[in-house]
Amino acid sequence: MALIAFGIIATALLLAAALVVTTKNLVHAVLWLAATLIATAALYVTLQAPFIAGIQVLLYTGGVITLMLFGVMLTRRHERVLVENDSNPKRRPLALATSLGLFALLAYAILQTPDLPRSPSGKMTTTADIGRSFLGEHLLAFEVLSVLLLAAMIGAIVLARRYDQGAEPRSVVRKKTA
Amino acid sequence: MQLSAPLSMALATILLPLLGALLIGLLPALRKSGKPAAYLAVAAALGSLLAAIKLLSDQLAEPGRVVLEVTRWIPVEGATAAEIGIRLDGVSALMLVVVTGVAFLVQLFSLEYMAAEPPPALGRYFGYHSLFIVAMNILVLAPNLLQLFIGWELVGLTSYLLIGFYWEKPSAARAAVKAFWMTKLADMGLVVALIVLYRDSGGFSWTAALSAGTASIVTALLFVAVMGKSAQFPLHIWLPDAMEGPTPVSALLHAATMVAAGVYLIVRVYPLFDAAPDTRLVMTYIGSFTALFAAIVAVVQTDIKKVLAYSTCSQLGYMVAALGAGSAFAGYFHLTTHACFKALLFLGAGAVIHAVHSNELTDMGGLFGKMKLTAVTFIVGALALAGVPGLAGFFSKDLILEVLYEKQQFAPLVALLAAAFLTAFYMGRVIFLAFFGAPGKATQSAHDGHFPLSAPLVALAALSLAVGFFGGNIAELSGAPYQFHVGAVGIVGTLLGLGGLLLAYLIYGKKSVSLDAFSFLAPVGALARSGAVDRAYQAVFRRGVLVLAGAVGWFDRYVIDGVMNFLGWGAIVGGRQLRRIQTGNVSDYVYAVVAGAMLLLAWGMFG
Amino acid sequence: MTPLAYILLLAAALFCTGVYAVLTRTNAIGLLLGVELMANAVNINFVAFSSYAGGHAGQVFAVFAIALTVAEVVVGLSLVILLYRAHKGIRVDEARALSH
Repeated sequence: MALIAFGIIATALLLAAALVVTTKNLVHAVLWLAATLIATAALYVTLQAPFIAGIQVLLYTGGVITLMLFGVMLTRRHERVLVENDSNPKRRPLALATSLGLFALLAYAILQTPDLPRSPSGKMTTTADIGRSFLGEHLLAFEVLSVLLLAAMIGAIVLARRYDQGAEPRSVVRKKTA
Repeated sequence: MQLSAPLSMALATILLPLLGALLIGLLPALRKSGKPAAYLAVAAALGSLLAAIKLLSDQLAEPGRVVLEVTRWIPVEGATAAEIGIRLDGVSALMLVVVTGVAFLVQLFSLEYMAAEPPPALGRYFGYHSLFIVAMNILVLAPNLLQLFIGWELVGLTSYLLIGFYWEKPSAARAAVKAFWMTKLADMGLVVALIVLYRDSGGFSWTAALSAGTASIVTALLFVAVMGKSAQFPLHIWLPDAMEGPTPVSALLHAATMVAAGVYLIVRVYPLFDAAPDTRLVMTYIGSFTALFAAIVAVVQTDIKKVLAYSTCSQLGYMVAALGAGSAFAGYFHLTTHACFKALLFLGAGAVIHAVHSNELTDMGGLFGKMKLTAVTFIVGALALAGVPGLAGFFSKDLILEVLYEKQQFAPLVALLAAAFLTAFYMGRVIFLAFFGAPGKATQSAHDGHFPLSAPLVALAALSLAVGFFGGNIAELSGAPYQFHVGAVGIVGTLLGLGGLLLAYLIYGKKSVSLDAFSFLAPVGALARSGAVDRAYQAVFRRGVLVLAGAVGWFDRYVIDGVMNFLGWGAIVGGRQLRRIQTGNVSDYVYAVVAGAMLLLAWGMFG
Repeated sequence: MTPLAYILLLAAALFCTGVYAVLTRTNAIGLLLGVELMANAVNINFVAFSSYAGGHAGQVFAVFAIALTVAEVVVGLSLVILLYRAHKGIRVDEARALSH
């Protein structure tokens, strides 16, 4: 039963991921990424991690995908023109070989590893467990993470801010006096 | 450390002049004041001399006494690599008196001789003199070769400073540098000897028992240093040039004491030389050759100081020959007597030069009437040098000849006998040219000096008359048996000396024998006058140095610079090539990351 | 029940898909999508290990990783906007001068 569910989810996941990397339309690619993420959330549910699954949907699919779409729209050169998601054809064979090689190595490593558990432990991790963990044993990391997010926010604002020549304070003053 | 009385005396002989040198050196006001600095230096020298005399008289009362006090200087694990301290015995006590005595008299002499110098130069001069006494006493009192080496180099330094005292004169500056170079070159021998000695005996003591081979090596190296310091052929060429310094300096450093340091070194470390007959044989030959060679050259010099300089070379050759023949005492005895009469001769020459303002013998003449005191004392010194019986040189020279005869070193003996004849001849020549005959052009206003100039002459003349009779005491001090006796060789040597004086009188005094009679010797004279050794040095070393410099320059320009340029070129080209891997293309960087990850993974699994 | 190895293989495949995207895409946002896939694969591993081994450290880690990814996306997108301003486009193969 679980295996069948896993099979379905895995198929959907890989299919969506493949479309992310192959589709020509960038907006479509972003949407396929959303599909991938939701499939992942489903996988989390089967792995008895409902909190992560929730976060995956809310934060990733809700936040990141929206951000991505904004990014796509902000960087479009022309209205209503298809945003191309080109891949350089000359690069494809080597990239494919590299990816497959990496996968082969990883797969070999996984299959060679002895005594991998064959079934989950069956213990459900509740939100309360994770919350206690955050505010207990991982409190420092949690606080550092909040600082990181603040830094990322400030960094993003500074980076993306538009420095118009006319927007400098001094010229504003000059305009007023004129 | 408890200071015993002799020890504090010995320290005083070093520390008093050191105090003087430091005060003069470190207080510019004192140095630039001239006279006060000079008086300070003379007072320090006098104090040093009195302490030395006290030490010597104590030593004479108790000849076998050895005061040895050392302190650890450079400790190494488990042992002491080097010690400094004081070794006071008969040899060093007498040498101490010779050094401080001559130094004091020379400084006294300099008070008048150098009076015309500007005050700062005068202060500098006396500062150097004080430093010289310090250095020489460190050398004389050294308990081991390392400390002796320190003093040795310090006297070399003061020699350099004093030769170059008139540094505005290019010839003086050049002479100072030449003396420094030649002696430093020779001193390499001493350095290497120290190293070999340390390696073989674990210390710097000269009483260490060495294997025969090592003893030969060490003594040969030491002898190289001695050849430099004591101006033995072929390293003698700096000494005549050193006459560029003020005449009192020549008297002190380059006649009586410093150049004798080489001989003193050999006397000091004689236990080592005793074990090295090969080195001593070489010494005998080099010493006697130098004695003859320098005497020949002295005959043709016209500069009175140059005559005395070559004479010094020649007499040092006597000492070295005696040491080589196996008698430390004979060399040491001659060192002592020579210090007296050669200092006297130089100071006398200085007095003459002071009066006539010229070094040239041709400018002098007929000075006897005008400078009676100077002339008489000078003649005493000259006769002492010539070996006239009863005077100092007679006893010591006779002893050297006897020793060589006894050891059956006949070729050196003949050379020394010939040198004895020539010595008497060139001293007679100087006497008759300078003090008798027609007055030279610069002699009108010549007169004897005042007390500071005259007193040292009288004192040294008295010593030259007397010191020969104290051979027994000196022998006792150095622990050697000595009984004066007149042997056949001594008589021959004396007669040759008197013959030389007679010949000089006939040629330069009475003028009854013309120089033309000796025209067959003209080539020898020309060769002696030409400074052939100097020119040989120039030919070999100047050309050699130029060739070497050219080779080194080529090597530097093409090999070393070439390597550097190649490295630079490699870095530039390599950088230019390497920079291509920075494509700016994100994918390429990701490739690198992925490749790295794959390698790590593969290494982790298969490696 | 699903063996752990299957899930790990799935994550590996997802990761390699992301690598392929990063290697081939010329669009900066396309690159970011590839990076997201890779991060997602990593998260799957965290959660899977946590679930199979018991305990919840892995899930806490996954939450941290998600937060980090969000921060990375935010900064990445602002860089994309900068790139767009500088080149009037976001093709990374055109933006390779490494300097002005």
